[in-house]
Amino acid sequence: MLDASEGYVTEDGRQIGGVVMEMKNITLRFGGVVAIKDISFDIREGEIRAIIGPNGAGKSSMLNVISGFYIPQEGEVFFHGEKRPQMKPYEVARQGIARTFQNIALFEGMSVLDNVMTGRLNNMKSGLFAQALWKGKAEQEETENREVVEKIIDFLEIQHIRKTPVSRLPYGLKKRVELARALAAEPKLLLLDEPMAGMNVEEKEDMSRFILDVNDEFGTTIALIEHDMGVVMDLSDRVVVMDYGKKIGDGTPDEVRTNQDVIDAYLGVSHD
Amino acid sequence: MPDSLLFGTEVVLNGLMAGVLYALVALGFVLIYKASGIFNYAQGVMALFAAMTLYGIMVGQVPFAHLINAIFGTHIHHFGWEVPAIIAIVLTIAVMVLFAWLVQQYIFRHLVGQEPIILFMATIGLAYFLEGVADLMWGSEIKALDVGLPQGGSFWIEENTQWMGMGNENFYGFFLDQLDLIATVIAAVLVIALVAFSQYTKQGRAMRAVADDHQAALSVGINLNFIWVLVWSVAGFVALVAGIVWGSKSGVQFSLSLIALKALPVLMLGGFTSIPGAIVGGLIIGVGEKLFEFAIGPLVGGATENWFAYVLALLFLVFRPQGLFGDKIIERV
Amino acid sequence: MAQTQSGAEGKQSLPALLHRNATQYGSAPAYREKEFGIWQTWTWSQTEKEIEALALGLINLGVNEGDFIAIIGRNRPYLYWAMVAAQSVGAVPVPLYQDANAEEMAYVLQHCGARFVIASDQEQVDKVIEVQDQLHQFEHLIYLDPRGLRKYDHHTLHQYSHVQDQGRAAYDEWITDLNERRSKLTYDSTCVMLYTSGTTGKPKGVVLSNRNVIESAKNASDFDKLTEKEDILSYLPMAWVGDFIFSVGQAYWCGFCVNCPESADTMMTDLREIGPTYFFAPPRVFETQLTNVMIRMEDAGTLKKNMFHKYMEHAKKVGGDILDGNPVSTADRLKYAIGNTLVYGPLKDTLGLGRVRVGYTAGEAIGPEIFEFYRSLGINLKQLYGQTEATVFITVQPDGEVRADTVGVPAPDVEIKIDDNGEIHYRSPGTFVEYYKNPESTASTKDAEGWVATGDAGFFEENSGHLRIIDRAKDVGKMADGAMFAPKYVENKLKFYPDILEAVLFGNGKDRCVAFINIDLTAVGNWAERNNIAYASYQELAGHPKVLETIQSHVETVNKSVAEDPMLSGCQVHRFVVLHKELDADDGEMTRTRKVRRRIVEEKFADIIAALYDGSPEISTTTEVTYEDGRKGSISATLDIRDAAVSSVAAKLAAE
Repeated sequence: MLDASEGYVTEDGRQIGGVVMEMKNITLRFGGVVAIKDISFDIREGEIRAIIGPNGAGKSSMLNVISGFYIPQEGEVFFHGEKRPQMKPYEVARQGIARTFQNIALFEGMSVLDNVMTGRLNNMKSGLFAQALWKGKAEQEETENREVVEKIIDFLEIQHIRKTPVSRLPYGLKKRVELARALAAEPKLLLLDEPMAGMNVEEKEDMSRFILDVNDEFGTTIALIEHDMGVVMDLSDRVVVMDYGKKIGDGTPDEVRTNQDVIDAYLGVSHD
Repeated sequence: MPDSLLFGTEVVLNGLMAGVLYALVALGFVLIYKASGIFNYAQGVMALFAAMTLYGIMVGQVPFAHLINAIFGTHIHHFGWEVPAIIAIVLTIAVMVLFAWLVQQYIFRHLVGQEPIILFMATIGLAYFLEGVADLMWGSEIKALDVGLPQGGSFWIEENTQWMGMGNENFYGFFLDQLDLIATVIAAVLVIALVAFSQYTKQGRAMRAVADDHQAALSVGINLNFIWVLVWSVAGFVALVAGIVWGSKSGVQFSLSLIALKALPVLMLGGFTSIPGAIVGGLIIGVGEKLFEFAIGPLVGGATENWFAYVLALLFLVFRPQGLFGDKIIERV
Repeated sequence: MAQTQSGAEGKQSLPALLHRNATQYGSAPAYREKEFGIWQTWTWSQTEKEIEALALGLINLGVNEGDFIAIIGRNRPYLYWAMVAAQSVGAVPVPLYQDANAEEMAYVLQHCGARFVIASDQEQVDKVIEVQDQLHQFEHLIYLDPRGLRKYDHHTLHQYSHVQDQGRAAYDEWITDLNERRSKLTYDSTCVMLYTSGTTGKPKGVVLSNRNVIESAKNASDFDKLTEKEDILSYLPMAWVGDFIFSVGQAYWCGFCVNCPESADTMMTDLREIGPTYFFAPPRVFETQLTNVMIRMEDAGTLKKNMFHKYMEHAKKVGGDILDGNPVSTADRLKYAIGNTLVYGPLKDTLGLGRVRVGYTAGEAIGPEIFEFYRSLGINLKQLYGQTEATVFITVQPDGEVRADTVGVPAPDVEIKIDDNGEIHYRSPGTFVEYYKNPESTASTKDAEGWVATGDAGFFEENSGHLRIIDRAKDVGKMADGAMFAPKYVENKLKFYPDILEAVLFGNGKDRCVAFINIDLTAVGNWAERNNIAYASYQELAGHPKVLETIQSHVETVNKSVAEDPMLSGCQVHRFVVLHKELDADDGEMTRTRKVRRRIVEEKFADIIAALYDGSPEISTTTEVTYEDGRKGSISATLDIRDAAVSSVAAKLAAE
């Protein structure tokens, strides 16, 4: 494992810190189908790390392994240098790993504000009885949480839909609300599953800007999956390239772009 | 005021009280349905079980006495002590929480993601199983539950409303059962508490989140199992309240579990997913069936209370399938 | 005209008025802004301190008297303070349109030679940085929101709050200087410089003095009896003269509170929460609000819908008369009062107009039905006619004399005359000083006696003394047979249909008129949805046969009404086309204030106009478009050309 004090400086001068998460020799099978085959890589503090590959390469499976939705048959996951035992998704979330979904999983019946507030459930400490008995303390906690949430709402420019039920929002805004909810947890690691899927050019640019700003403003470590090469290359510091469940490249966008295996995979394999 | 108006008013008031009780039972259904998509057929039996347990604890009955006696040839039936109502209620709540945990741990945890009909069948099974366990634990005889709720007509109301008759000699003031009045207050407090719980507490918020989207709930760190146990516990608590009120009124007996069937039309009226709907639905049915019996009953030979609620529900199904407050059913082409 | 040299109540500048307000209304709210979901408030005395800190900071940064300070961003208290702080240090504030692209911005910054720019956020900062090589005088950039700017080179970049901090720290060093500069301000010092969007050519910098601003603000406030108790919502572009007069001039004169929305998108919500008492909106805003109400009513339950329509009918009958103080029967008044409880009141509150005492609309003609709708609800909506060069007010409608088709009587202290060509001229204390660095234009607009040509043609109604505007003077032309050609007149009639967003009429020097039409995507899209008409794009919807049919019926109705006026009957639309794209400021087809640039449209779509005249049934065309980020592309389409029925005029009078 890499030394935690080790890091690097990005092209635009950001200091990237030690390893936050390390995946070691992960293999994931569904029945006889191998979705991920012996993959290792790490995610460092403060960086934007992308996992790319053609459709069906196993990117989403990898994200689901990180967030605990899938349990790999082989391999180990290290979080902050400690080996992570088998965990339920909610336990992973409580460790400070927040995520969004490719197909958007929001609470459709709730308002935008309520949705984002649920992102802070784990940051609320008062127990059930404490909430009933010490009303003042619970209220103060609620106010503090609301403050954090309002800053995020402001940051992502969704003030105008604060009270709107999520079900009434267009797709692009839903994606943004989902990002807001994930951010509300003040995560140590933010996982984005195809944040730009299904968006038009303008929405994609907005989303890219938000991702960069989040990383810049809050110093959030971000791992994202995307199959649109162009967007990813502009956005990320380091890229893992997957194809047919295997890792075929890992490095800075420039390194990956000139990697022969990657070129072959992207030219030889049809992708959309 | 003319006679018919005075009596009509009294009928409406009584109907409201009955409606409150319907609403109480319907609430239990709504809670579980919203959070887990399970239509809990066993809700009525839970009320019966809770009331029997409360009675058993209060009078110091030995659980499973018949079973123990049959196996060991002993003749135990009571411990010989009596437990004050308030402590017995706390103990019963504990039993209902344990029940909730068992149900989740051994039944529904294994059925996550199954078709609604499978879940529904499971609750039917649960209902009959629970009914058997209840009989085995506490015996099947009718029990007169008395937790100290006042009974009989309220003289105070009768005396203080007599003037409304304005000298009408047939009018002695409104007759209202004290138990009904207390039940109304209890129901109101319960509803306010439930709403406050779901709106303002962390667990309540998590409960609403789970009701909305499981995957999203997981991703924000909500333990689904815990929430489901919580929901079943709350439903158990609501069942206990309903059991106490109905049990005090007409004794703890098997028919108590049938009130679940009365809750069905209430749900159809109010919508399966709406707490206010359950309350308004309960009140409408309560008042509606009493008024109908009062006005139309004599013309058709009475006993309209048996079917009025179902006919009303049927009409609703035809004209407004989502109920009064239910989520609008929108079909897109 | 007697021009006072002492200034109104001896207050000759904005800093002087600020000081009076801080003394007189110290603890009353001066500014509110919603941030992080909560309304933040600054009192007048806090405001004075904030502005002073900024002014000191500006001196500290090296602002000299006579410098120009450009201010770019959405309406925020901080930017309003910047305008007053700029004047406090003897500099001239120049607010710019925030949606201007970098090129337009470069022109203005260069023209006024701004040494300092105060910008709201990264987006604006980026634009300035992009063009800074072209700006020789530009030195320092101050920004408000630090988001995304952390990594920028901070040699010439300063955060607003830091400038204020430095100002506070350097209080002892600069306060004498600041006091000196403030005391030098006179009634003839420049108060602000505003660039007119200009329907043709490059924008011109209109220099307004303290006299212009304060006298105009005072007169208009007296006219409508405004007090320090008013609340206004400031959401219109800060670079527009109207916003400067309402949110700075009148706010400082009266001492009332300026409320800033949380963001452009939350304006409607914020409007509801603030409930302004004095409100200005261009017709477009009222139209949108009405459309939204109508759409919501379509989806409402039967009971609600019936109640709404029943009482709106009644309001239409008597609401306007009640508002104007005309006699109305007691029964009708009673019914109106019930309607007010059930419908009008709740509706006004939803619209955020429940507390409006004085409301104005201007800039464009407002549809009579829209205008009447708001008046019938009991909202005192009025019209005014104004210009940047007049510091807004030329004519206004007095309470009780409000009509949809006039713009009112001359505002206090304004003289008006109409020349032989029908062009309106005015002279007032608000008459601008000059166009900056443009003596020729100044001379051609303002004569030696101070009369300003408005460029609008109009006439006074004989009986009422109200002014009626026909069109831009230069747009009023003659058709081949000598009949009057008044495009705006017809276009406005067309635009009163919710389905039609924009219309452009051609026919100057021709034998008949033809028109371009833009559909309104919201209204038509909603209609399409309700009628199960599928469409993938604006272009497809605009070309849908059913849409064309609807538009045709609108055009034909308008033709009938145009034909009623013998002088203008030649302006009926013989043929029209529904355009495949919206006319857009980014493509130069409109100004930033959304006025059509006729010449540019005429050149750009020459092929379509030709087809309209040569009788072809359709035309294939390709148009270049500019996207928001500045990239260019093109769209091609084949457009149906429609013939519209024209009403014949019995006696075809030769005009004049």
